[in-house]
Amino acid sequence: MHILKMAVASFLGTFGFAILLHAPRRAWIPASLVGTVAFVLYDLLLSMGITSPAAIFLGALFGSLIGYLCAWRMQMISTVFMSLSIVSFVPGLGLYRSMELLARSETGGGARQGAEAMVAIAMIVLGLGMGAFLVRLVKTQVSAWKHR
Amino acid sequence: MTDRKMYMDVLRLAGETIMENGGETYRVEETVDRMGRAFGLEEVQSFAVPSGLIISFRLNGDSESSVLRVRRGSTDLERVDQVNQISRLVEAGKMDCARALEQLREIRSRKTGERQYPTILAAGLSAAGFCLMFGGAWMDWIVSAGTVAVQQLFFLWMRRKNLQSMMTVVLGAFLATLIPQALQPVLGLNQEAVIAGALMPLLPGLAMTNAVQDALRGDMISGVSHFTQAIMTAGLVAGGALTATTLLNVMGGVL
Repeated sequence: MHILKMAVASFLGTFGFAILLHAPRRAWIPASLVGTVAFVLYDLLLSMGITSPAAIFLGALFGSLIGYLCAWRMQMISTVFMSLSIVSFVPGLGLYRSMELLARSETGGGARQGAEAMVAIAMIVLGLGMGAFLVRLVKTQVSAWKHR
Repeated sequence: MTDRKMYMDVLRLAGETIMENGGETYRVEETVDRMGRAFGLEEVQSFAVPSGLIISFRLNGDSESSVLRVRRGSTDLERVDQVNQISRLVEAGKMDCARALEQLREIRSRKTGERQYPTILAAGLSAAGFCLMFGGAWMDWIVSAGTVAVQQLFFLWMRRKNLQSMMTVVLGAFLATLIPQALQPVLGLNQEAVIAGALMPLLPGLAMTNAVQDALRGDMISGVSHFTQAIMTAGLVAGGALTATTLLNVMGGVL
């Protein structure tokens, strides 16, 4: 039930974002599904006891890989799928908690939450970067193999 | 119009449209180079940074160059994708220069604002989804969606008055935090879920993606610039939320 709730929430959140970023209409549903699958993977990894930064990294990596695959299949720019695949990982809650604690002069707690949010952002960037690198690696190898 | 001028117009419009609408700088350079080569131009060179674009090429021994200052507009990935489709057609020899110019002008003439109200609804839907993700109940979803709708209407008003600046993000975050906190005593909301949901549409997912894409292709200037933009936007969102929370805490103490 929890997974289903997370999947619906992630789909709605990403779908709204697709319209907000003026993504091409035919990408709205596929890109939202990519974001949903990546987030569900993250949630499953968390429930298996994997730490949040590692789960975010793996979720973003998986999202970027299937995002690239969708972009290639649909002959569309990868930006659409890449940016929407990570929407659900962006640490809005962490950022807000950090600010709320700082406003209450709880500097220690605020700084800890802020640092956690920054780690989450770094993991998203790493996951996306690793995905993009792997795709380029495969493309280069396939291209070299074709020209052999 | 001479051929040289027309080729330059196509390359400029393609690059400018991608950049203004949220595309990566590597994509601008790749598109310009690819289209230039497809037109049979020689020594096509392009240099893009997030705020500008330089293009040069040679045709029949004469050189042509252009420097362009680009100002980012609102994000429209459909336009970026459409320019990309045109560049693919040009590269495949299925579209000539005159047709490409006509199509690019058509893309640019379409106002992003044509879809303002669906955008407001979409932002509300997105906020409601994230509110659910953060543990909100149905009343929280409604308030979160409503708060974002107010925030987006405020952005629309700012755009119409030409008042868009970095302060827009701060004020957006301020509203996203202030409205739920003000309604909290009346409605008994899950304040954290409502506010975090309402802040999500402001957070810089696209800038982060662009930073990664540019940096990975060795374009460190654009990569660092986009990454700074992402961190700065996150900071501004945090600043707006902090201001609203502090203000309400102070008012609560006074009242």
